Amino acid sequence: MRKANNIAAIEAVKDTIYRSCLLMDDERWSDWLKLCDDGFYYKVTAYSPEIRKDMIYFDADHGQLSSMCDLLPKHNTDHSPLKRHAVVYTVDLDDGGTSAEAVTSFVIYQNMLDGVNSHIDAGENHLFAIGRYLDKLRMVDDAARFVSREVRLETRRLDKGTHWPL
Amino acid sequence: MARNAKQWNTHPDQNKIEWADSRIYSDEEIFEEELEKIWKKVWIPVCHESELPEPYDFRTMTIAREPVIVCRDADNQIRAFLNVCPHRANLIERRPSGSFAEGTPSGNPKNMTCMFHAWQFDMKGRCVHISRSEEGYQDRLSTKDVGLRRLRCEVAFGGFVWVTLDDHIPHTVQEWVGSALDCILEPIDTEPLEVFHYHKAIIPSNYKLWHDTNSEFYHDFVHYHNRVTGFNDAYFARKNMTFDNGHVVVGSFEVQYDQYEGFESREALSFPTLPPNNWYMVDIFPGINYNLRGSALRVDLMTPISANEVMIEFRGLGLKQDTEEERLTRIRHHNTIWGPMGRNLHEDLLSITGQGVTMSPGTEPRHILHGRHENDTIHDEVGMRHYYDEWSRWMGRPLHNPTNRPTTRGSVAAAE
Repeated sequence: MRKANNIAAIEAVKDTIYRSCLLMDDERWSDWLKLCDDGFYYKVTAYSPEIRKDMIYFDADHGQLSSMCDLLPKHNTDHSPLKRHAVVYTVDLDDGGTSAEAVTSFVIYQNMLDGVNSHIDAGENHLFAIGRYLDKLRMVDDAARFVSREVRLETRRLDKGTHWPL
Repeated sequence: MARNAKQWNTHPDQNKIEWADSRIYSDEEIFEEELEKIWKKVWIPVCHESELPEPYDFRTMTIAREPVIVCRDADNQIRAFLNVCPHRANLIERRPSGSFAEGTPSGNPKNMTCMFHAWQFDMKGRCVHISRSEEGYQDRLSTKDVGLRRLRCEVAFGGFVWVTLDDHIPHTVQEWVGSALDCILEPIDTEPLEVFHYHKAIIPSNYKLWHDTNSEFYHDFVHYHNRVTGFNDAYFARKNMTFDNGHVVVGSFEVQYDQYEGFESREALSFPTLPPNNWYMVDIFPGINYNLRGSALRVDLMTPISANEVMIEFRGLGLKQDTEEERLTRIRHHNTIWGPMGRNLHEDLLSITGQGVTMSPGTEPRHILHGRHENDTIHDEVGMRHYYDEWSRWMGRPLHNPTNRPTTRGSVAAAE
């Protein structure tokens, strides 16, 4: 029974991660945040071999992410959507099966729209970033909810960058 | 009313409004000349001293296509050299940073080693080993003949490592910058600083367009954040001040960070002696920018790659003495505006990307207006005019006909 519960929990974790990717791909930010606890903490990090330091490129809690996503339509931005290809590599449940840590490898492509010269490059796909999602989740009933996410980037040449969560 | 070709191409009256021919941004010949006449002749802050904190640490970079290495000797002296082996011109060090304290597959500890043929150099640039020297060179060549090409190097202005390719540059760094950085000298030189952020962008645009963006604030209309946290009487009273050698300072005012939802005052972590939430921008000719917003310093360094391509390195700095908590707060303040996911940086880079489209090599010459006059205040384009006066002096090219070639389409249109 324990093993079956664990398999179900692991599948629930994977389902939440993959569902979050689809919601972010579709820029449904408030729906993405509904998969996250109120205490959710999000950060984008990278190691710089130039300055030989771990860096934080962005961090925010649930409330800050929510207000940022609400405000971003007031900003000028590159509207070329980011699309994620993700594979959940590992899911480790705690002993009680109530929380989990997951490692997901991702590639993010940018589907060009208006970032440079739309007549020429709209419709092209550019590799935007690679890295891993390092997630902590907790089980609530039969579902998994995000407690925290670290977006660990390998890409450090981010060119124009982006306003949006990765 | 929209204009026909003749009207579009007719030069504005220079006596009424200043303008530049866009070929200063798009002409390949001008670009190559800029590397020779400007970029190889000025001081460049290639990195920060905190990026090579220990003896035998090094950083590598490029100035005007020339590979450069900066290293710290056992006596803590920082020196710079061309990162080029005097034997067969291989790159000596390929990594962006590291330490020579340990040996490498081809060389000994505490030396720079060219892996190709294992020639070795000490931190003073002296050649200390030529592999099988006597067998191959007999007495025709020895280590004393093949030292590295040393470069002039000074540490100044917040701990930045300034390097020049010009042995005969007539200024020290202090003389070159002059008093342009006086407005933030105490904040950046009272306590040692430390780099906490590095990222880079390669943008399909001319390097001067990035410098223009940093030196004119009329473009604050692109920034929702700046409009809601500024755009008051104090903002519009900010002065643009010009300094010798083409440098420009955009004066300060108190930013109302709390007017942007989710943002907070920077007062608690102000740089030493900086009034709360003040913001200074200093543009150093030809492509360096110091940007101090209350609790975080950003320094941009441009590396021009081609007429229509520039690499911009973005560094964020705090105080070396920061506690972990202070540093995290500084990083957050920095990132929310200036990080690769920050509110403003993305908007600025989008803007010059668009300019890069319309002014790429081969596009027709355009009139770039530099003609706003508002008593040298924030939306006055005096900063750009000052920069281009200096640029014209270095280049010996007039802004209105920089190629000494006719503006082809304009001439055709004018003859209609």
